[in-house]
Order: sequence, then structure tokens, then C-alpha cells
Amino acid sequence: MSAVTESSTADGTKTSTGKGRRRGIRGSSLAFWLFVGPFLVGLLVFGYVPIVWSLFLSFFDARNTVTPTDFVGLRNYADMLTDPNFLSSMVTFTVFAVFIVPLTFALSLGLALLVNGVRVARAFFRSVFFLPTACSYVVASLIWKLSIFNGVRFGLANTVLSWFGIENIAWLSTVNPPWYWIPLVTVRLWLQLGFYMILFIAGLQRIPTELYEAAYVDGAKPGWQVFRFITFPQLRATSIAVLLLNLIAAYQAFDEFYNLVGNVNYARPPLVYLYSVSLGSIQDLGRGSAGALILAVIIMILTLVQSRIFGFGKAD
Amino acid sequence: MATTTQPAVRTTGTPVPIGHSRGPMATVAKIARWAALLVTTLVFLVPFYLIVRNALSTDADITAPGWKVFPSALQWGNIAELFNDSEVPMARALWNSAVVGVLGTGGQLLLAAMAGYGLARIPHRAADKIFYLIVATLMIPAAVTFIPSFVLVSSLGWVSSLRGLIIPGLFSGFAAFLFRQYFINFPKELEEAARVDGLGYWRTFWLIVVPNSLPFCAAIAAITFIANWNAFLWPLVIGQDSSSWTVQVALSTFVTAQTINIHELFVAAGVSILPLVLIFVFLQRYLVQGVAETGIKG
Amino acid sequence: MTPTQPAGPWSRRTFLRRTGGLAALGAFAAACGGNTGRPASGGGGGGGGSNTVLSQWYHQYGETGTKEAALKYAKAYDKAAVNVQWTPGDYASKLASGLLSDKGPDIFESQLNIAMVQSKQVVPLDDIISDVKDDFNANDITTNTVDGKLYGIRMIDDPQLIYYRKSLLDKAGLKPPTTIDELITAAKALTNKNMKGLYAGNDGGLAMGGPALYSSGGTYLTQDHKPNFTGERALQAYSKLHELYASKSMLLGAPTEWTDPGAFINELAAMQWIGLWAMPAILKKFGDDVGVMAFPKLDAQGKDAVYSGGWTQFVSAKSKNVEAAKKFVRWLWIDKTDFQEDWSLSYGFHIPPRKSLAAKAKKLQTGAAAEAVKLAADNGFTDNPAWTPKMGTAFGDMLTNIIKKGADPAAEAAKAKKTSQAELDRLFG
Repeated sequence: MSAVTESSTADGTKTSTGKGRRRGIRGSSLAFWLFVGPFLVGLLVFGYVPIVWSLFLSFFDARNTVTPTDFVGLRNYADMLTDPNFLSSMVTFTVFAVFIVPLTFALSLGLALLVNGVRVARAFFRSVFFLPTACSYVVASLIWKLSIFNGVRFGLANTVLSWFGIENIAWLSTVNPPWYWIPLVTVRLWLQLGFYMILFIAGLQRIPTELYEAAYVDGAKPGWQVFRFITFPQLRATSIAVLLLNLIAAYQAFDEFYNLVGNVNYARPPLVYLYSVSLGSIQDLGRGSAGALILAVIIMILTLVQSRIFGFGKAD
Repeated sequence: MATTTQPAVRTTGTPVPIGHSRGPMATVAKIARWAALLVTTLVFLVPFYLIVRNALSTDADITAPGWKVFPSALQWGNIAELFNDSEVPMARALWNSAVVGVLGTGGQLLLAAMAGYGLARIPHRAADKIFYLIVATLMIPAAVTFIPSFVLVSSLGWVSSLRGLIIPGLFSGFAAFLFRQYFINFPKELEEAARVDGLGYWRTFWLIVVPNSLPFCAAIAAITFIANWNAFLWPLVIGQDSSSWTVQVALSTFVTAQTINIHELFVAAGVSILPLVLIFVFLQRYLVQGVAETGIKG
Repeated sequence: MTPTQPAGPWSRRTFLRRTGGLAALGAFAAACGGNTGRPASGGGGGGGGSNTVLSQWYHQYGETGTKEAALKYAKAYDKAAVNVQWTPGDYASKLASGLLSDKGPDIFESQLNIAMVQSKQVVPLDDIISDVKDDFNANDITTNTVDGKLYGIRMIDDPQLIYYRKSLLDKAGLKPPTTIDELITAAKALTNKNMKGLYAGNDGGLAMGGPALYSSGGTYLTQDHKPNFTGERALQAYSKLHELYASKSMLLGAPTEWTDPGAFINELAAMQWIGLWAMPAILKKFGDDVGVMAFPKLDAQGKDAVYSGGWTQFVSAKSKNVEAAKKFVRWLWIDKTDFQEDWSLSYGFHIPPRKSLAAKAKKLQTGAAAEAVKLAADNGFTDNPAWTPKMGTAFGDMLTNIIKKGADPAAEAAKAKKTSQAELDRLFG
């Protein structure tokens, strides 16, 4: 590949003399590789080689090794599809998504409407809500785990509860009732609401003012009616984007679970489980790869179905 | 801050209805709106308050029964303590994160912009196939290729090195995809003029296209930098030697360590977000644009 | 990786980018490579005259001074340069991925399981220990032996016990518990507004699962490799752990894990499950007010149980310098008795695996430390190398479901047994 790149560089400089149609076409092919080649080589090496390798591993008994010799056919897939832990990680994800997707949607839209509706200090509010985007899940998890939702008397949440005479709650350790969802959901909300709010604000600002004017002429009442019949329908594209991005991001949740609750079987999304199978002490790379590929297929189907339904992803 | 960002005057969402109606209902709505805004603002700022408070407290203050709103004495020495901790080389980690952020962002932008331009503008029979190859990678989740990527990188001998952190991340299908979409909509007239002047693709790209796309590039760069700075799982696995830890990995080791030193942890958290907060303050305009671009077209 | 980032969509792809890359950027790579800060003899290596460089991995010990000590030992070795890698955080995962690549450690500390032997991660070390084998605690030999070959040199023994405050028990009018039921009663009695009765980890006491099993008279596996943790009495013991958890007298959500004495020292709990390593820190705070006890027996037919954990030194089969690595292990963990003594007694406390050294360890011969040593000698059990992490995970999941969710012990045990049996069939079948 590098040979091609070199020769096209040489040729690319020559094209600037611009001599005739035939040269132009040949030059354009070389120019194409000059522009696309480096990226493409990298994508193949670091993108496709690992995918193929993963596929290979998934058909072997690959424990503690990445160059296995013991071919087992589809056994790893069968194992994963019947592995209660893997299945329950899917359930965990589903529960998580049921909380996080609608909440993120509603709250980020709400924030966008609030921020967009004020005339003064709009940039200030936007900045405040957007600022958490600068924080990583590691930082946020640390604040949540040690300072807000720890289970002892000096956690912020417990301090507030104690003002009302309520006993300390071990937020991250209590499964009955499942309090651990509160830190897990709120940390993601805090981190990502600002991001989706910006998307909604951008969407709001693309709505032509004339539509509102026309609505008022027709006697629409400000507030809910206008939102219901003008604003919300106009936000359709944005809404779909937010839902889909949100869902995919939730599917790949790892960091807050890893840092807040670790590898526990009651709050273990697919990625955390696969990480523990492959790279944790179990080191079963064959089953880990099989599980990952199953997950990939599910996400692809999900994406395709969604884009089929909503027509998402078409260039605008 | 950047009030100029949006064409707020020309098109606005809901403000119209508010200005439109008067009377007590509107006033109530207005008060409710402001109350909601202020309460939400406070809630959003609580974690930042906790970072500052805990970072400048003694552990005794933090763990004291009864909430101490402010530390009884500001412990500026905590900062020095962090940087003198031999177990977690924080200064080194900051440097690594900066290098990874800058080189990773620059390299990724360069490669993706060139590829995007080539795919958008240079006719070639392989263009469609390559585009599909790129789009396909967008749908495959991280976990699938995580282990083999690690093995590949380690067989190249890049574990615990900055190249292992940076290079595999340079080839973003998503960035290439965004640039292609962007260049497809780029006004053709400019390039045609350049053609007439006898410029080839290479010089057209660098002399005409890039200089006219700087806001878009800045937007993508800002978002990429933040993503690089905050990346966790890959640096966690690649950074085996503490000399190659990024800030996030260093922080995480504090949290999962056998012994926890609470105030030091929060100093570290504060130090780790400071660069990004500064970027936010100065580049907010591009960030907002970047989020809007990447989100909508993703 | 991407789920991480708030910039959701973008960051998802960020990860994908990580799987992209370009070898043709060699020059760039080389430029970055200069910054890795991994000098051949850095990190405490050194030692003159030899070109051999060995990499030695430790997890992070919590006690101050341990890292410096590890560096000091490495530096004192003159036959090879030894790089010490000190690993805070998730050591198990780092080690697992390190051992997959050929850039991993030459020498590492861990605990042996048979999968490591079968996948050829470690080399036998019989030849370097043969002359002093009899001086090692017999348990420490068994736990590192698979099919008659010894794969690791035990560095330290860490019995895990329950620490308690004598004064608090006295005040409540209680004697140290001798059965699980008494433990539950004591934990309840010691719980008040500011303090919980017992701390055994934020997971609700999974660390006590093994000891509870042994206290009922069971074991993980039988001698001929069959699951042995699902008997009637074992199930009773698990139920008791649930009872303890449900009594609301256990500390949960502490900022430090059970491996750190922080919760006990900060008086968040009156008793804590933790290893001998924490003894110096605890004595420093409470002095004579500290007592230790084994995990109490299930009932009169049971027996007290002390889990003898610890760390073992291994030589990686992927090392390019296996012989040099073995020589270093022999030197540090067999020949250099002064370093072993230092490592066992100067920071946290550990029992030296060498009987001759343990006998000389003055600091372990008085007070609570002496009690702990005696309890370990009388009731200690060690890991069975046939009990693999996969079975351990199944066992842990079972405990979580029983302890925290109050699930039916018999049903949960049956699930864990099935997983373990499948694993055993694969290993020995």
C-alpha cells in the first residue's frame, strides 16, 4: 500500500501542471488513493483485522490464549445463548434502557425548551447544562460513589435524608429495593443531558418562525397546543436521532457500571459481562468473542430496524 | 459567553408564545420557568461543588458527622500531595492525556478529512465500496473487536506506549463519514474556480477547501479532543505500565485501589477536568456546533 | 471506548476508531514511541553488568512503604535488571491481558489455578525449591501443586478473620461469638445510630462465603474433583449469611472496601472481616482493645474457619528469560530471608510461608497477632488449584443471589453446581 501512496504523491504534484484530459483521469485515480489510501489501510488493519480475528476466536476453545488450536464449531455461541448470566445481562440492559432512554429524551427536551424560552442569560444556562459533558464517567462515578451515594452518614444523599429523619441507605449495595439504579441512572443523566439538549436546541432553532406566526393567526393557544402541533412534529428528525443514539449508547454502557458497582450479577450490562469473561480472571476469549458478535448482530438489527422505520440516517 | 453562536434573532422556538400572551397566567408560567431553570442549575452544579469542597478538605472534614458546607480550613497542600504521590504519577498522566488528545485529534482529523474529501469529490469506481466498508464499522460495537484489537496492538509491541494509545484510534469511520457528508454539500463553485486556475486535487484541497472548512474542522476537533481525553476502557487495558497511564486510568486506579485517600482522589478529579473546563469556556461555540453536527448526522 | 463518553454517538465511534489504524504511519509511531517513558532499567531496576531485563508485576499493597520495598529488593539483585510494575486498580484484568501478549511480566504474583497450568501460562518451579521444600508450610505447597508439579513460590500467608473491639463487646455484655448465630446476635447488639455491627464488604459479605462453607464442614471440591459445596449444611450456612445481611447490622456502602481497615478504624463498624495485613494499622488505632476470631462454626457439629489467603510468585511461560526469572525468584523468595522478613513484618503483617522464618517472627508472637497466627494454624484452609475462577464466579453469583436477593439456596446452589460440574468435566473429564 505504501508503494501506491508514494507513486501517487509523485504524480499528484505533476497533475498541477494540468496537461490534458487523459492525464487528468489517470491523475484522478492516483489522487483518489492519495486521499483515501492512508485511511483505508488503517481501517483495514485496525478495524477489520480485529473483527476477523474475533470471528476466528469465536469458533475455538480459546482460554488464556489468542492463538487457539482447538476448533469447537458453534459451541461457544450455543454456550453464550444459553448462559443465564449473558441473558440476564441483556435483561439488565433492557431495564436500564427503559429508564434511561425516555428520561433522557424527556428531560433533555425539557431543558432545551426551558433554555430556549428565556431571553436573558440563555448562554449561561446552556453552558451550565452542557458543562458536565466535559466530565468523564470515571470522574462522575467517583463523585457519585464516594460523595453523593455512599452508604454512610457523610454521603450527600444520606445527609439530606437524615434531615428528614430517614436512616442511611446503602445506595449501591441494596438490591431490595434496587436503589442502585438511582445512582446508575442519575450519573448518566447528569453526563449526557446537556449533549442531547444541544441537539434539541439546534432542532428548535431550525423551526421557521413563520410556522408559529401562522399558528397564532389560526388561533392556536401558546403553550401545550403549539408544542403539540408545531414544535414537536418539527423536531421529528432530532427526536429520532436522540432516541437512537441514546439507545445505542445505553447498549454499550460500561464505565459507570464498572466504576460504581463493579462486576456484580444483578447490575451487569452485556459489555461488563463480556469484559469479565474475556479479560477478567476467567479469560475465556472464545466465548467472549462469540458473545460480542451476538451483541453486534443485535445492535445491527436494532439499528437497521430503526432506520427502516424512521428513515433515520438519510442525508438531509 | 458565546451568544453569537446561534442565529437566535431570526428563528426561535418557543419564545414567541410567551411574548404573545399577557396576564396572570403568563406571569405564573414565567416564574415557573425561572424557578425550574434555577433549581436545575443548582442540581447540575452540585457535583462540581463536591469536587472543589472535597479536594480542599481533610478526610476528617469529609467524613465528619454533620455536613460541612465548606472545609474548616482550605487544604491547598492537597494539590502538592497529589503530584508527589509516587504510586499514581499524575503529572505524567496529564501529559500523556494531552499528547494523546492533541496527536490523536490532529491525526484523526487529517486522515478523516482527506478520506472524506476523496470519497466525496474524486470519482472512482471503488468509492462506493469503500464507503460501505466505513459505514459497516459504525455498526459494530466496541466489545466485538476489543480483545483482538488489544492482541494486535500488543503483538506490534505497542502495549504501554503512546502509540498503542493513539494510532489505533486514528481511523475513525465516523469522522470520515461526517467529512464525506460535509464535503458533498461543499459549494462546488470554489473548487471549479481552482480547477480553472490549474490546481490539482491536492492543492485544491489544501489551498481552497480546508481554509473554507475551518469552523467545521474546529467543531469536530473539539468533540474529538474531549472524547479522547475522557476515553477509559482502551487506555485502561493498553496502559499497563504506570508511565503510560492517562488521566482517566490514573483516576480509576484511585477508586479501585485497596486504600482510598478521599481528598486526594477529588484533587485528582478536579485536575483532570480542569483542562476540559477551560476548553469549554474558550471553545464553546465550536463545541456546540460540533455536537449539533455529530449528533444529527450520526 | 465509547459508551464512556457523554458525547454518546461520537464516542461510540471513538472506540471504533481505536480499532482502526495504519502501519504505514511508522514514522509517526516512532515519534510517539519515544515518549513511552519505559526505560529498559527504569522503575527501580538497575543492577550492574547484565543485559537481562526482567519485568516483575505486583498488585498494589495498601500499606505505606510496600512499593518502595519492592523496588529496593529489585534493585539489590545484581544478576539482572528487574523492572517492578506496581499495579493499583484492577490487577486481575491487567494481569490477564498482560499474559496474553508477549509484553507481559516475566515474574508475577497471583494465585494458582489449574487453568493457568493447562493453558501453559506458568512454568514448574520444583527445581528451585527442592532443597527447602520441607521448610514451607505444607498448605502453601499443596495450593501451588498440580499433578505433582509445583508452579509457584508462596510469598506470604494472609489469614482472614473477624476483628472486633473488646470494649464494645464488653459494653454490650457479650462474649466473642463462637457460632454463626452468636455472630448475628452480636452484630445486631453492636449496631447503633453511628455504627454498624459488622463490615465484610459492600457486596454484603461474599468474602465470608468460603469460610461459611468450611464452617459447616464442607469444602469447595472433594479430593476426586467433585463439587462439594451444595450439601444440606452448606446451604444452612449460606442462609445464615443471608440472615446476617437481612438483620441490617452489616455496614454497606462504605467508601473503602473490606480489604482496607478504614471502616473499622473510622468506627463505622464494630467488627470487620479483613486479613492479617491490616493488623498494624488497627493496633495503632485501638491498641489492646482489639481481638480477632475465626469465622465461627455453623453449630456444634461445625468447625471454626480461617481462610488462609496470600500471594504466590510465578514465572510466566511466555518470558524470554525463564531461567533468569527462576533464578530471581529463588533469590528473592527463598535465599534472601531478610527481605522476606521485611516484606512480611515491616508494613502490613503476613505470616512467612517458611516455618523457620515464621518461628522467628517476633511481631507475630504477641497479642492479637499471635491469636491470628494460632487461629490460622488451627483452622486455616487454602485455595484448591482445581477450583478455577469460573467456578469461583459461579459460587459468587450464587452467594449474591442468596445473600442479597434472598433467593432459595437449594436452587441457586444447583445452578452453581451445574456450572462447576461442566467446568470440571472439561478439566478432568
